[in-house]
Amino acid sequence: MIETFTHIQSQLDASPHLLRLGRLFSETVLIEVDGDEYYLTFDKGRIVQVMQGPSRKTPWRFALRTDAAALSEFWQPRPAPGFHDVFGFVKIGRGRIDGDILCLVKNLRFFKEVLGLARSKQEQAA
Amino acid sequence: MSFEPITGRYLTVSVEGAPRRIYVEEAGQGRPVLCLHTAGADTRQWRHLMNDAAVTASNRLIAFDMPWHGKSLPPEGFETQEYLLTTEAYIDTVLAVIDGMGLDKPVLAGCSMGGRIALQLAALHPEKFSGFIAIEASDFQPAWYDIDWFHRPDAHGGEMGAALVSANISPFAPEVERWNTLWMFMQSGPGVFRGDLSFYTKDDSLIARLGQIDTAQTPVHVIVGAYDLTCTPEDAERTARAIPGATLAVMDELGHFPMSEHPEGFRPFFLDALAKMPVATAQAA
Repeated sequence: MIETFTHIQSQLDASPHLLRLGRLFSETVLIEVDGDEYYLTFDKGRIVQVMQGPSRKTPWRFALRTDAAALSEFWQPRPAPGFHDVFGFVKIGRGRIDGDILCLVKNLRFFKEVLGLARSKQEQAA
Repeated sequence: MSFEPITGRYLTVSVEGAPRRIYVEEAGQGRPVLCLHTAGADTRQWRHLMNDAAVTASNRLIAFDMPWHGKSLPPEGFETQEYLLTTEAYIDTVLAVIDGMGLDKPVLAGCSMGGRIALQLAALHPEKFSGFIAIEASDFQPAWYDIDWFHRPDAHGGEMGAALVSANISPFAPEVERWNTLWMFMQSGPGVFRGDLSFYTKDDSLIARLGQIDTAQTPVHVIVGAYDLTCTPEDAERTARAIPGATLAVMDELGHFPMSEHPEGFRPFFLDALAKMPVATAQAA
């Protein structure tokens, strides 16, 4: 999983439109996958650190908690219904979003497209 | 170069005792089919069907922007009003447009909140219509989000609304139409999406009325996309079951804005729906 997030990090560096969308986003986001913690620290739209937890001293703004199978489906070119969006995870009971949800919503397009950057990786691998 | 067959005009009608300048588009001839857009959007959602010669050869498709939406202005004094759509105002608006245009028993095709009001009209004013196509329509849908997110001074409600509703677009949708669909939400006026959602997520009066819809007089066909997180297939199935005689189609590869996000995928479902509706000439005879 950590490789996927570092891949997203490098893909984001190569995505000028996302860096522009996220230019005001400097926060740490927690992605919890099957209980394993991954902290993505953004600075002005770039991911400057990907850190694997557990960590009790890393503050985060909002968190997406889900499972590896759900993320794997999310990263398919055409995910099944419910797995096609992070809010879908919540709707079908495969995920939870905690923390400053308004912060997430203000940056929702940016966050969803950043997370979706791993989708192209799978397409290339296929 | 050639112009599309869609023409647009403005019509001033009275809604709740005050004038509303309504933008109306139409294309085609024959049976009138009045098309209602979703929350936070406008008539452009119907652009593909209005440009579809197979549809417009025998159907006069008419779509209008609700007040506050698209090219329809908000009412005089809007600058001091909080826009909150109500069932009553929505019904008044649809009936005013029908009367203003002199439409004779159109088929009513509505999507999302347009589908909701189509079912309200099927229950309360069936004599004005020949049939109902309720797309992504359900009896009631409480919000799974905070509608106040979409109208605040420190963020762009349109961009947030577009990012939210992107959850309802199918991954099968062509990219260009996905983004054209989202653009309408990005353009939505301040507080308009929120005001639409207020109607959509807080008024549950339809639930008790579904059983009084007489599909022998006015057929009801419900259509829902599998990728719709807002009105899920389960929501639409529950709603259709509560309407005696209603029919239902589930679209496996479509989402909440089928006519806009994936016109080719939606086309056969809409043609099938039209085939279930009475023909205007037979109705008049």
